[in-house]
Amino acid sequence: MSADTGMDAFLRAAPVTQRTGMRALLALASRPRGRRLLDRVPLAEQAAWSLLAMRRYDDPGVSRALGWDAAEVAARGRELRRAEGRP
Amino acid sequence: MIESADVCVVGAGAGGAVLAAELAEGGARVTLLEQGPEHDADRFSARPPEMMARLYRDAGQTATLGSPPILLPVGRGLGGTTLVNSGTCFRTPAHVLERWASEFALDLDEASLEPCFERVEAALSVAEVAPDLAGENAAVARRGAERLGWSHGYLRRNARGCVGSGVCVFGCPTSAKQHTGITYIPRARAAGARIVTGADVRRVIVRAGRAVGVEAHVRGPGAMEVRAPVIALACGTIHTPVLLDRSRVPDPSGERGRNLSLHPATAAFALMDHEVDMARGVPQSFFVDEFAREGVMLEGVAGPPAYAAMALPLTGERHRAAMASYRRLAQFGLMVSDSSRGRVRTVGRHPVIRYDLCAEDLGRFRSGLARLRELFDAAGAREVYLPLPPGVEPGRAGVGDLKLMAFHPLGTARADGRAGRGVTDGALAVRGVRGLYVADGSVVPSALGVNPQLTIMALATRLADTLLDRPGTPAVNRANTVARANGHLNTKEVLCPS
Repeated sequence: MSADTGMDAFLRAAPVTQRTGMRALLALASRPRGRRLLDRVPLAEQAAWSLLAMRRYDDPGVSRALGWDAAEVAARGRELRRAEGRP
Repeated sequence: MIESADVCVVGAGAGGAVLAAELAEGGARVTLLEQGPEHDADRFSARPPEMMARLYRDAGQTATLGSPPILLPVGRGLGGTTLVNSGTCFRTPAHVLERWASEFALDLDEASLEPCFERVEAALSVAEVAPDLAGENAAVARRGAERLGWSHGYLRRNARGCVGSGVCVFGCPTSAKQHTGITYIPRARAAGARIVTGADVRRVIVRAGRAVGVEAHVRGPGAMEVRAPVIALACGTIHTPVLLDRSRVPDPSGERGRNLSLHPATAAFALMDHEVDMARGVPQSFFVDEFAREGVMLEGVAGPPAYAAMALPLTGERHRAAMASYRRLAQFGLMVSDSSRGRVRTVGRHPVIRYDLCAEDLGRFRSGLARLRELFDAAGAREVYLPLPPGVEPGRAGVGDLKLMAFHPLGTARADGRAGRGVTDGALAVRGVRGLYVADGSVVPSALGVNPQLTIMALATRLADTLLDRPGTPAVNRANTVARANGHLNTKEVLCPS
């Protein structure tokens, strides 16, 4: 699953109010004028930055460079569960 | 589709799964209805956004209205929030039980709850985290606490065969965390309980002052009615009062949905000189309880880069620079035992949660944030990132400056042993209607100051004992009993004075 797909699933599953707000923040953060607007509202800027950052660092290539390999963690889990008969 | 059972339990989290298993093993015919799915650990990807969408109600975006707005993530599916919590296990503190006895006339003390806690802890394999499994993130906090002389320790958790995958709250990929979906649910099944997932319970059917069943809509088959002389709600603190409202169950106390208590929380990061790799090890493995009596508990928190990037209280170049040093970042959390009280209302079919942080709790955050910085400074942090806007010092932070999440909602159907008080009585029976019980965090009458899953499970165990009329169960007004034909089950019907 790509970082965008994971983020899309996250947004789709959120309640409509939060989903609308998060999509608006992401849209603003992707445009220079929107970013200038966000600069004036620190809480909104922080929220937008958090969303963008979650998407960016969920990318397997980016997170692997920081020492975290989600696929490896999940695979190790599967192996352990099979080997030890865990649920 | 119409079915019958001795007991119908609604919700398969910390309370419902335990109650269903205990009752089924006690000989009752149990039907357990769960709104969410049964999750397959093979699909746990260790990636935060995807797993939040899958394992949490509303993708973890349930939020309170009020000042400040607070995210309140809760789990969904077999296991409920036990599937996505950090696995921390505390028994109910003695001073809290004493308060419940004096303030709410609840007949609960350490001795009477001891057998319940023992059973739960055995079922969940509760044990203290070994320091080598706790990871370097915990070691950083430990160094700080030791240098400051603050009381601290490794947490007890419900885990078996944990290898420190670092993603407890995003679905344990090794099934080491012993959540109720893989402990009590299999026991309930083995004892013959019928477990239905995808079951959205629309209302409790009440006739002539007693609960006689529930109506649900099940994904696939459609409408379903379960008829049972005993109904137990375990939908969680946010949704149980909503289901009671929707069912037009009388509320003689007028307290339903009120008294919402949370553990509002936040966390700080620190940049260390050495590699921490915060997601290696058990994220919540260590605590500092030096300030617990003041209502401030410091507990470990950590996660993979996507989680850390989302939580890091920075923007722009400072955020990029800190994340470039992710391997040297440490994180520790702060949880407040609140004095604030919120309310859950039903709007349409859904809950609306109102919660405003009071001045006393703001003070706890101010002092707690200062102490988090002190902890990291003592541990040798190069830089500490507090969750406050630039230039705002902890001592001068306002409510609007705080970036909070909250956990452990409690109290919206609180138990009270005094006549006419409390949504539920001391036996957890709903006042004003017979045959209806509550077995989740909503009955817990006050903040605990510690993670509540063991308390909820112990209370559910005690309720099962009460319904099975086992020795040592609470003295209640036993007007009559509902006995099964085989005589094995002797389910009490508790008549509550309203």
